[in-house]
Amino acid sequence: MKEKEINVNINGKDIALPTPMSAIQAVWHAGYPMVHGVGCLEGVCGACKVLVRRAGGTEITTELGCQTMTEDGMQIIFLVFPTPNHHSYELSDLKNSWETQGHFHHVFPEAAHCRHCSGCTKSCPKDIDVEKGVDLAVEGKFREAGELFLECVMCGLCLTSCPERITPNHVGIFCRRVSAYFHIRPSNLINRLEEIRKGRFKIEY
Amino acid sequence: MAKGISRQAALKNYHANRDKTVTPEELDVPELLKKFHPDYDETSMVSLQVGPNKGDKCHKQLADLLQSDAMIDEADLAGAPVYETDVLVIGGGGAGCAAALVAAEKGARGILATKLRLGDSNTVMAEGGIQASIEKNDTPQMHFDDTIKAGHHCADKKLVEKLVMEAPDVIRWLIQHGMQFDENQFGDLVTRRAGGTSADRVVYYRDYTGLEMMRTLREGVLNRNVDVWEYNPVVELLTNESGHCAGAIVMSLNKKSYTIIKAQAVIMATGGIGRLHLNGFPTSNHIGATADGLILAYRLGAKLRDIDSFQYHPTGMAYPRHMAGSLITEGIRSAGARLLNGLGERFIDELKPRDCVTSAILKECAEGRGIDDGDGVKGVWLDTPTLERENPGFLEKRFPKVLLTGKMCKINPKEEPLLIYPTLHYQNGGAVIDEKGISTVPGLYCVGEVSGGMHGRNRIMGNALLEIICFGRIAGSEAAELIHGRGHKKVTIEHLSRLRRELTHAGLPMVSKSPALFPDYAKQGGGS
Ligand SMILES: Cc1cc2nc3c(=O)[nH]c(=O)nc-3n(C[C@H](O)[C@H](O)[C@H](O)COP(=O)(O)OP(=O)(O)OC[C@H]3O[C@@H](n4cnc5c(N)ncnc54)[C@H](O)[C@@H]3O)c2cc1C
Ligand code: SF4
Ligand code: SF4
Ligand code: FES
Repeated sequence: MKEKEINVNINGKDIALPTPMSAIQAVWHAGYPMVHGVGCLEGVCGACKVLVRRAGGTEITTELGCQTMTEDGMQIIFLVFPTPNHHSYELSDLKNSWETQGHFHHVFPEAAHCRHCSGCTKSCPKDIDVEKGVDLAVEGKFREAGELFLECVMCGLCLTSCPERITPNHVGIFCRRVSAYFHIRPSNLINRLEEIRKGRFKIEY
Repeated sequence: MAKGISRQAALKNYHANRDKTVTPEELDVPELLKKFHPDYDETSMVSLQVGPNKGDKCHKQLADLLQSDAMIDEADLAGAPVYETDVLVIGGGGAGCAAALVAAEKGARGILATKLRLGDSNTVMAEGGIQASIEKNDTPQMHFDDTIKAGHHCADKKLVEKLVMEAPDVIRWLIQHGMQFDENQFGDLVTRRAGGTSADRVVYYRDYTGLEMMRTLREGVLNRNVDVWEYNPVVELLTNESGHCAGAIVMSLNKKSYTIIKAQAVIMATGGIGRLHLNGFPTSNHIGATADGLILAYRLGAKLRDIDSFQYHPTGMAYPRHMAGSLITEGIRSAGARLLNGLGERFIDELKPRDCVTSAILKECAEGRGIDDGDGVKGVWLDTPTLERENPGFLEKRFPKVLLTGKMCKINPKEEPLLIYPTLHYQNGGAVIDEKGISTVPGLYCVGEVSGGMHGRNRIMGNALLEIICFGRIAGSEAAELIHGRGHKKVTIEHLSRLRRELTHAGLPMVSKSPALFPDYAKQGGGS
């Protein structure tokens, strides 16, 4: 049985597809080269940001092009833009966990000015509640905030939609990193490190 | 090849037989590998005719690239801007980031040039986890023995010793840089077992170990004094008059122009080869995995090893077609998921080393017991539903990525088994290095998947992520030490004249140029 052709428009070009495929594969299939905006092809690197409008709809969503399956009448635009980060910090600057809160606001002064516009949350292709993450971070709940960013692929869409230049994704990764940095040390790992330090293990070939 | 069993018939068999617990019969491993593993397919192999590995067996597609002409001529360099740095790191995956971070921490100036964006790599995709012997009933010696055995006793023992002894400190270092791992209620790291190993030794973060590692390291690098050049693949290496590697030529993908980077030490961390699709296999690798570093190092005179040995991961998605090659983590087999053929029967101990399991799957398909969905879609079942039935909620908790993959292809892995087929996954061999990560060319370090020796001819899950951080750190540190007190010398591409002479002499055509940078379907468009 021959399947019905799928007609889509990608980056302004009309493309007819014999079977459903991802937006990236559709571009290649149509004979156009594309390497910018392609990475893992598995939805984990965040390289392939797209704007999508489905047939008959008015809503425009932001998605990952390798994970977006083409449907008849879909319009897709690949977004290839740099996502510069103007924040900078070193974990080693944090001498103890009591300083984390103060340090956070020093590094991310804009975070406290979040205007709760939800721009970041709406743009996130991983359905992360980014806005809440920023809120939690501002309150100093770094572990909870970091947890929310579990699936963050650092695509930077939230960053580009934030009117306050908060860089929510970097806030999220900061939260994750300090949580690991100050977390109780795993005893099984510590014990093994100690044993190795004492020279208990010699490898025999 | 015998035709297999149709999807419908196979599903019926699956439901009829899935509660049976039959232990599969033992297979004669050497025989199995010889008959069914793609590495043993003599028809796809040739002998290299030029370079340090002249006479060695090599896969034809790779040999073509190793024996191609270079992209660069003297004329391209006239007027190209020149930059100077201490340490040049090539490749923005885990190995490159670890090297750049450590070099910077040691005070070296660094440039990291990468083909795509920082972190677009194989590292970000790793799911299963990373090996370190930290449990009471495990030792570095057991880790050593498992690695040597799985690699068919071909690995470089000195490198493996380094690897297993450094492993716990690698985990400490990652945590120190802000990476999270899964832990139990007491805060101990939890471990799971990799196929072909004797203890629970893989630490992990959900099935997002690579993602967690990559975003941590990326953030680390971006916050350090490292100059990151994205969309700037390296297309040739440079030497000084004494033949030391002394920099590289990068090509901007945006401007299509060349830049010369002079460096005191060069760290090659360009990863693997999956996107060459050897033997026509699908791949689990990211789009930039095209063996560039291997080829550039070879041209400069670096000796390679085990370049006829690749890992085909047993469980790549086979259906739907557009997902072909996409990986289902081995972690799920560690957790108990079975492999079943079209008759609904087990045919291999699922936790045997990867090359065995892969060969066994290829055998089932070749002998007509595989599932054949027509149109080239074939494979065997990965029995996820039984896992879920025995332990409701388990998939959700431990394997969110598998469920997500299911969602993408409109299959619910809790209810329907997944059709899987081996996928080209990993380059076992690579550039020969010593314990300091240096190749046979002075000034050129090779770390990560581009290097060889750690894994022999087969790798166990979790040793790659370990290797990239272990040797990435070592090379970064060594390179930073090396630079002190040395100035920049004149750089040349003299080695290309030698290459062209040798190619002509061997009667090789020089029609194509390498490195490839991307597969043709991405560079030119066309079906993948
Ligand atoms: C899907 C998948 C799952 C995996 N799961 C596991 C696992 O669970 N455990 C484990 O231990 N291992 C796993 N591996 C293997 C492991 O992830 C890789 O071997 C390892 O991450 C390689 O790291 P690397 O830094 O050497 O290379 P990569 O991470 O691939 O990085 C190489 C970088 O170099 C860049 N590059 C390439 N060519 C050039 C050039 N010419 N110039 C400049 N830059 C260039 C690339 O774009 C990329 O950024 C997995 C691999 C895949 C693909
Ligand atoms: S949190 Fe931001 S960077 Fe992360 S996936 Fe969502 S939109 Fe992308
Ligand atoms: S986009 Fe920025 S301002 Fe708006 S909710 Fe998100 S963090 Fe707050
Ligand atoms: S290509 Fe990596 S997320 Fe789409």
